[in-house]
Amino acid sequence: MTARAFLRDRLPAILIRAFAHLLTVIFLLAFRIPHQALAAAILLPLCGAVPAELWEYRRRKRFYDRLKNNAEGLERKYLLSETLPDPDFAEGRILKETLRDAGKSMAEEAAECRRDADAFREYIELWVHEIKLPLAAMRLLCYNGGCGRCGEQMNRMDDCVENVLFYARSGSPEKDYVIGPVSLKRVFSDAAQRHREELQSRGVSIRTEGLDTAVYTDAKWLAWILGQLMSNSMKYFSPEKDREPQIIVSAEELPDRTVLRFRDNGIGIPARDLPYIFEKSFTGQNGRARPGSTGMGLYVAKKLCARLGHGMEAESEEGKYTEIRLLFGKSGYTAPLSAENAPRDPNLSEM
Amino acid sequence: MKILIVEDDPTLREELSTLLRSAGCEPLPVTDFTRTLDCMRQADADLILLDITLPGMDGEALLREYRRSADTPVIMLTSRTSEVDEVLSMSAGADDYVSKPYRPAVLLLRISAVLKRASGTGEVLRYRDAELSPTRGSLIRAGQEVVLTKNEMIVFRTLLARRGEIVSRDELMTALWDNDEYVNDNALTVNVSRLRSKLADFGWPDAVETRKKQGYVLL
Repeated sequence: MTARAFLRDRLPAILIRAFAHLLTVIFLLAFRIPHQALAAAILLPLCGAVPAELWEYRRRKRFYDRLKNNAEGLERKYLLSETLPDPDFAEGRILKETLRDAGKSMAEEAAECRRDADAFREYIELWVHEIKLPLAAMRLLCYNGGCGRCGEQMNRMDDCVENVLFYARSGSPEKDYVIGPVSLKRVFSDAAQRHREELQSRGVSIRTEGLDTAVYTDAKWLAWILGQLMSNSMKYFSPEKDREPQIIVSAEELPDRTVLRFRDNGIGIPARDLPYIFEKSFTGQNGRARPGSTGMGLYVAKKLCARLGHGMEAESEEGKYTEIRLLFGKSGYTAPLSAENAPRDPNLSEM
Repeated sequence: MKILIVEDDPTLREELSTLLRSAGCEPLPVTDFTRTLDCMRQADADLILLDITLPGMDGEALLREYRRSADTPVIMLTSRTSEVDEVLSMSAGADDYVSKPYRPAVLLLRISAVLKRASGTGEVLRYRDAELSPTRGSLIRAGQEVVLTKNEMIVFRTLLARRGEIVSRDELMTALWDNDEYVNDNALTVNVSRLRSKLADFGWPDAVETRKKQGYVLL
């Protein structure tokens, strides 16, 4: 609160007082009282008015400055009323009480939303669990009935169901993963087997290097993430006939982390799109040119990675390759591998 | 090979039976879930497929109870989507687990892997009068030796395990991919024809027969 703002606020009251004062002076002039007495009558009331205003200014300034300061420092601004001292003037008390009520109602609202979201997420998990039964039965029916094409569609359905599950998980605050030593070989094999028909029908050749190592992660989550990377690669392989679609997966152990590189020789990502590929619903130039791009895969994958404490970054050259790197820390935090290649924070790059 | 199926979903149970029968096993489906444990104990099966969610006692508790008295191999069929299940089922004494919806070929592969482990790995693999040496990666007959590549070896062993039956390309692919050999369709054809010509060197030019649209048979 600045003195100017305070003065402007008090201006009507001051003007009214000044007007009353003027009337008094005119009245006294009419009585032709001595000049000294007149001067005293003009100045003496100011001795009361100025300190009174000053005192009022200080008291309000103290309270509102504190209010503003606290609000700026707080991440959850709805807790503001809890941080304020009891003000010693009526307006302040009203403000504090109202703030407290508003905060309380907002907390209740938020709690209810959270309960709803949790209930919905639980229901999704249950639903996914339930639908897997008929899916499993249908897959066997297809297999026993020799209907390979039905089987392919079943796989697609299964993938869609799995995506729902992981999307629900990526946003939940609950810890529903189990971190343990996981063999990259086995996880990659699981993911590849899941997508085998699709990979085969596109004639993708896969090469693996150095996967005989273990990282600390959740096997199912990682398998899903790798599956996402595979289906991304398959979406964006080059249409040129003479370039055989290829995926190379390699792991490298550094002193403080393990880096898993997932590289394809697809159409790549334009440099201007690269910083945004992990953003929700971002499809970019490549996605717009093809059907089936939702902009969700990498977003959810990155979120899951963040929850598991892994880093994820991308590098690409348009028309040549795309490489996604997963960084598994050996002790907690994983910094980006190379500062200039790491996808920049979109908020920063806009500045 | 008798395989006990403990699965409460009737369609799944039926289709699993069909699958196992066509793979040359004898399925023994459990239908009375009030006395599952007794069925498991009395069945005299070579392997048990055990669903984790069952009416009454769940699969994991059932397995713990069962493991007190028997060591028949058990494969858990999990359908819950969390990792915890699998950790629990392994600690309860399962030999392996497959999560629903499983790929049929993968399930068959896991079954044969578990059975192979249970029967002991010491057996010598023979084909006609030749001996298969997985450690040397070769086929040996009276001083003659043909070296097989890893892929050829996987293909040959898969065919050999089901000698005389049709093995589909899909099953061969599953076996290869399960061993981290992510070959494509062309590569499988190449591997089979190379295997064929190596067997021809041994004087068996028609050992591997192609059945159109079905797969291959090792005679």
